[in-house]
Amino acid sequence: MVTTLSKPVREAGSFFAMSVDILVQMVRPPFAWREFVYQTWFVARVSLAPAIFLAIPFNVMVVFFLNVLLVEIGAADISGTGAALAVLTQSGPGTTVLTVGGAAATAMCADLGARTVREEIDAMKVMGISPIQRLAVPRVAALTLVAVLLTGVVILVSLIGCYFFSVYVNNVSPGAFVASLTLLNGLRDVIIALLKSALFGLTAGFIACYKGFTVGGGPQGVGNAVNETVVYSFVALFVINTLISGITAQSVI
Amino acid sequence: MTRPVGKPSSLRPWLMSTLGGWVDGWNRIGEQTAFYFQSLRSVGEAVVKYRTETLRLIAQMSLGVGALALVGGATVIVGSLVLNAGFIVGLVGYPQFNRIGVEALSGFLSAYVNPRLAVPLICSFGMAATIGAGATAQLGAMRINEEIDALEVMGIRTIAYLASTRVVAGLVVVMPLFFVAQLASFVATKAIVVTGYGQSGGVYEHYFNTYLRVTDIFWALIELMAQGVVIMLIHTYYGFTASGGPAGVGEATGRAVRTSLAASIFVTMAVALALYGRSGDFHLAG
Repeated sequence: MVTTLSKPVREAGSFFAMSVDILVQMVRPPFAWREFVYQTWFVARVSLAPAIFLAIPFNVMVVFFLNVLLVEIGAADISGTGAALAVLTQSGPGTTVLTVGGAAATAMCADLGARTVREEIDAMKVMGISPIQRLAVPRVAALTLVAVLLTGVVILVSLIGCYFFSVYVNNVSPGAFVASLTLLNGLRDVIIALLKSALFGLTAGFIACYKGFTVGGGPQGVGNAVNETVVYSFVALFVINTLISGITAQSVI
Repeated sequence: MTRPVGKPSSLRPWLMSTLGGWVDGWNRIGEQTAFYFQSLRSVGEAVVKYRTETLRLIAQMSLGVGALALVGGATVIVGSLVLNAGFIVGLVGYPQFNRIGVEALSGFLSAYVNPRLAVPLICSFGMAATIGAGATAQLGAMRINEEIDALEVMGIRTIAYLASTRVVAGLVVVMPLFFVAQLASFVATKAIVVTGYGQSGGVYEHYFNTYLRVTDIFWALIELMAQGVVIMLIHTYYGFTASGGPAGVGEATGRAVRTSLAASIFVTMAVALALYGRSGDFHLAG
């Protein structure tokens, strides 16, 4: 009974311990620049195409139902506002989260898990090289940087998709769509969106590294670790999103 | 994918490798299509011949395996994701409605946005992450351990036994997931608007009941069933074709999640546009 109860607590504890280790190592001088550049390139390559393919249908669906509502109350002219509000505050960072959690963090966890199973991590430790400093820190930093950059791409692609859908399917006038984009949204929302994505990238990186380093039990173990990475990062990112939206929404009123 | 070592360099290596990559990609699409057709065709066989296996998979998928079973499996995880989405609907919607002075209509917002947008979109992510990725991890491990080859040697039709049963199970598991998700989204939005922002419960209930349409909820269920089939097909394919040791299983799981997220959202959009039509099938004035 005590062991079944203590296991999740122990897991959570070691996750936090590793996260703090990574954070401390991040500001301590020897920073693995070469690995960081390589990982940034890897994350960007893995997640750019899924992000674009996910962003277009996701946001077209959002703007479709928003436009139905706006057309019904006779406010089709401000459909740009609805699109910008939805994309900038929720679905832009949201799509980035899902790509970063689903595409980049899984690839990262699979890579680290394979190294753990092949005992390469243990070999590094024996040679006196810190796997946290050499492997985890550049990965987490790369995931954070790419998440921020990806948000920009996703928001741009989504707004272009929304523009074409609104103009050619819902017959909104193009000028009205573009003019109303900034009616309710400003610099503040852009900064919040970028901050959100940075937090998402950091959290997904922690989860991927933790799960990758603690893999055990052969092929099924690596598969399960990747599965758990996706699930935990999705849940964590959704909770973070709710909290940040709550904090920033409070200040509006 | 990479050229075997020791092969002599060919004329125009760059051109040959590019063309080779295209041919490989083209062949992979053909293989996938063949696999999907075969596993859909064997669905009847899976239900009739492998009924116990299908029932076992349904139980396993809805409750989860390993560490995920500890936190309650797919049902609880999808429920909690949608709960957060419902919170967001309330948190973003109420202040915007408040700005233009129609915050009384928040109940309408919940009845409109949750079944049409939040539940179908968020559930597809939840399902790909839980039951989908789990299936890839399981089948990939079976492939690496040569268990699938052993089944074939014993004369069992592996696609019917492993893939089609999972497709059927995915289709069945969608229903409890859907009901939990739908309920969670409504409860969450109501909690934010009534408890958080302090709107009167009666006003919220009135507009919620007025604008809640049964067909919307039914269409959402159909969207989810389409997603379930697509997600299970893609994830079983990647599990079936995993190669390259333990690392290969992890890689296949990641690649399957990437593909199925984009594919299931695309299918959701197509089904939604087909079901609701261009006008959106919605009338504010009744």
